[in-house]
Amino acid sequence: MGISRRSFLHVVGAFVGASALTDTVLEGLGTTARRAEAAVTPGGVVPPLNYWIPNWPDQIEISNQATAAWQKLGLTVEVQQGTLDTWTAQIVGEHKMPHLGSMSWGGAPDRLEPDYFLTEFLYSKRMTKGGLNYGNYSNPKYDKLIEAQRQEMDPAKRQKLVWEAQVTSAADNPSLVLLHRDYVQAYNTARFEGVVPVLGSGIAMPYIPWSYFKMKPKTARKLVKVTSIYDIHTLNPFATPEVHNSTLLRWIYPPFVIRDENTNISPWTAESWKVVNPTTVEVVLRDGMKFHDGKPVTVDDAKFTFDYILQHKFPALSRVPDSIESVEVADRRTLRFRLKAPFAPFVASVLGFTFIAPKHIWEKVGAGLKTPADWPNDQPIGSGAFSFGEWKKGEYLFLKTNKAHWMPPHIDGVYWLPVPSLDNQIGMLERGEADMLGWNVDLKQAERISQTKDLKVVRSATHGVHEIRMNADMPPVSDPKVRLALSTAIDRKQISEIVFGGAATVAGNTFITPLSKPWSNPNVSNPAPSIDKAREILKAAGYTWNAEGKLVYPK
Amino acid sequence: MRFWPFLGRRLIQTVVTLFAVVTLMWALFRLIPGDPTTVFLGAGELPPDAVAALRKSWGLDAPLWQQYLDYLRNLLTGNLGLSFYYRRPVLEILLPMLWNTLVLMAFAVTAATLVGIAVGSWLGWRRGDKTEQIGTLLVLIPRALPIFWIGILLQMAFAYGLGWFPIGGMRTPAFIPETRLELLPGYDLAVHMVLPLLAAVIYFVTDPLMIMRTSMLEVAGDDFVTFARATGLPERRVRHLARRNAILPVLTYTAIMVSFAFGGQVLLEVVFSWPGMGRLMVSSVTQRDYPVAQAAFFFMAVVVIVLNLVLDMLYAVLDPRITYE
Repeated sequence: MGISRRSFLHVVGAFVGASALTDTVLEGLGTTARRAEAAVTPGGVVPPLNYWIPNWPDQIEISNQATAAWQKLGLTVEVQQGTLDTWTAQIVGEHKMPHLGSMSWGGAPDRLEPDYFLTEFLYSKRMTKGGLNYGNYSNPKYDKLIEAQRQEMDPAKRQKLVWEAQVTSAADNPSLVLLHRDYVQAYNTARFEGVVPVLGSGIAMPYIPWSYFKMKPKTARKLVKVTSIYDIHTLNPFATPEVHNSTLLRWIYPPFVIRDENTNISPWTAESWKVVNPTTVEVVLRDGMKFHDGKPVTVDDAKFTFDYILQHKFPALSRVPDSIESVEVADRRTLRFRLKAPFAPFVASVLGFTFIAPKHIWEKVGAGLKTPADWPNDQPIGSGAFSFGEWKKGEYLFLKTNKAHWMPPHIDGVYWLPVPSLDNQIGMLERGEADMLGWNVDLKQAERISQTKDLKVVRSATHGVHEIRMNADMPPVSDPKVRLALSTAIDRKQISEIVFGGAATVAGNTFITPLSKPWSNPNVSNPAPSIDKAREILKAAGYTWNAEGKLVYPK
Repeated sequence: MRFWPFLGRRLIQTVVTLFAVVTLMWALFRLIPGDPTTVFLGAGELPPDAVAALRKSWGLDAPLWQQYLDYLRNLLTGNLGLSFYYRRPVLEILLPMLWNTLVLMAFAVTAATLVGIAVGSWLGWRRGDKTEQIGTLLVLIPRALPIFWIGILLQMAFAYGLGWFPIGGMRTPAFIPETRLELLPGYDLAVHMVLPLLAAVIYFVTDPLMIMRTSMLEVAGDDFVTFARATGLPERRVRHLARRNAILPVLTYTAIMVSFAFGGQVLLEVVFSWPGMGRLMVSSVTQRDYPVAQAAFFFMAVVVIVLNLVLDMLYAVLDPRITYE
């Protein structure tokens, strides 16, 4: 009798503990919100800056560096750490943004299209809850430029607009863009050769998979084992927007266009495409493609896939109904897209993300399901260079080479091994249990890896970005002069050296990496780091310092 | 014999307890900021409109009381729901991981209990002499170590250092047996299991061992032990008698250990890349995959409560002095 009550209290106790924790977190957020309401007191001391970071080692180190610099300006900074999920739920989901919020964005291939960062992060219509403009940046001039570049189907004219948009936002300093961290990855040179580093994918990420298309086995074992911290969660290409999962499924269900080794858009299942007029795009399919079950890939399958997406409105593929009005078959190999409005990122973002699903399989799917996105698709049939082998949840995903592909890889297949601990990933590489590190190490770990015979470390740039966003609605960072001062006070080069051992590209005053040509505007640079200069900027804006050296609002 | 009324009362208590646990869990998961769509928001993979559509399709736009009632109704009809993250029925996600955990933990708990009883009774019987003092001290050392640290040490010694065992995982992908030994069925799994199993046993063994020792000390002074000695039974027989009488608290503790083992050991699973319940539970909480998280915790609660119930019933069998009151 007594035991049951005791164990029940035990369980309750555990949960009460958990809820108390949640309460503390929520209370902390409440404080943040209350502080925001505190109006500016002219001549009063500037209140402490609330700065929320994800609890990752690099972010903690960055916040230490930045905080130390800002203290020299007479500011008090209160850093709050949170897990990624709480950070996201509060800052992105609820837009409960404190003064400052740190985040790093990975090098997903979608983000090579300049529209992604420029629109999602700074366009005023993305200020709604769930949108990524959680810094509440709003500038009508910038908005006009963003809308114009989205509609400009001529790349040369679009480039001018994109460059001008970057100049416009840079003048306001909505975010402290810090750096683009390099990928540091490694592989076993005794077993394989010919890996291809690609911007944002390194040699091993599944995003732009040239390594896996090009690498050659040097021994009889032609299977590549790659470690990653991620596992996939579905085999259904209509179900997931998650980048690791969706890009791996694109190995099975290839997109119409793909980024080449220099990240230029190049034909893949499309042989060519043509912008007929700003709202009409024609795509010619490659001839002679076959699905993994041997049936030919036809233009009807392609049309079916788009109609299917338009009909079921899959959230993971929402960019299709957002941009496409209708799809027609123009001839045996040509598909004609009617767009709702001119949409410059169409080729990169839509044709580079969508795929051809076999009509003969998917037209029968859906009976008894709320949506075909819930269909398990246990034996995916696509037309890619890799076909589905086996998926053991939490253990491995095996994709095997499709020898009948028009550009068959030299290897026999790839095992993706989800390994949650990075130390284990390194250990497996050193011990030969894995051939390639599909995740990212720091330079210290890289040094250790290079000491093992046959292992080679490859460093390659990404367009992913580390930034500290500022809340444009919350004093004092609502003042562009204060934002400029904060930006001037931090030393990006030094942060890159201290936190990443220099394995990073220092950012310009734009989210687009200087390496992304032609979109990155080389003329928008960040101010040269100087505490004195930062104090001068504040002084010129009317700020003063009290006897204790704390920053005081203008009178 | 008032067994049946006792059982009836206990069953009602069990149901009430389960209901309370279920309700608490349901409420707590919704207290954490964010919902299952947050995963896609953070990575900027879905625009807000698509997120809203997803939320609607998952029924997360309904009022909370309605979501709660739906949950209860589904639970009563045995429907654990669909995982938001995997988009598959919860059991399809849970059972393979549960199996992976049980493979490891069944061995670990059994070994820990048996070793604990054997060594604990041996130590308890030697009350006061040097072996007991040193032995107790030695046993207390692993008790103070975190399980992941034990795991990492074993890994350093036997995987990185000596290279006898793989670093982690449950199987070698594309495993090709080369020696006759490797051809044995289950060889690959067994090799992968050695280190995590060892770490788990070292971690788990202390509690049953120390409980057994203490219990043995208590029993050693009882009249029946003195009587047994007086009748001239050999010391080995006396110890056996004492052990039988001292075993009860250990069994109670084993029930608790089983329920903890059921939930897996997330740190151990991370150290050894073991695809088990612990990792699934943590990831389902961070992904706000309510159905999977709720089902996992529900299972754990059921195991705790049912095992306690069974144990209460068993007491009378194990120790005839206990009656149902």
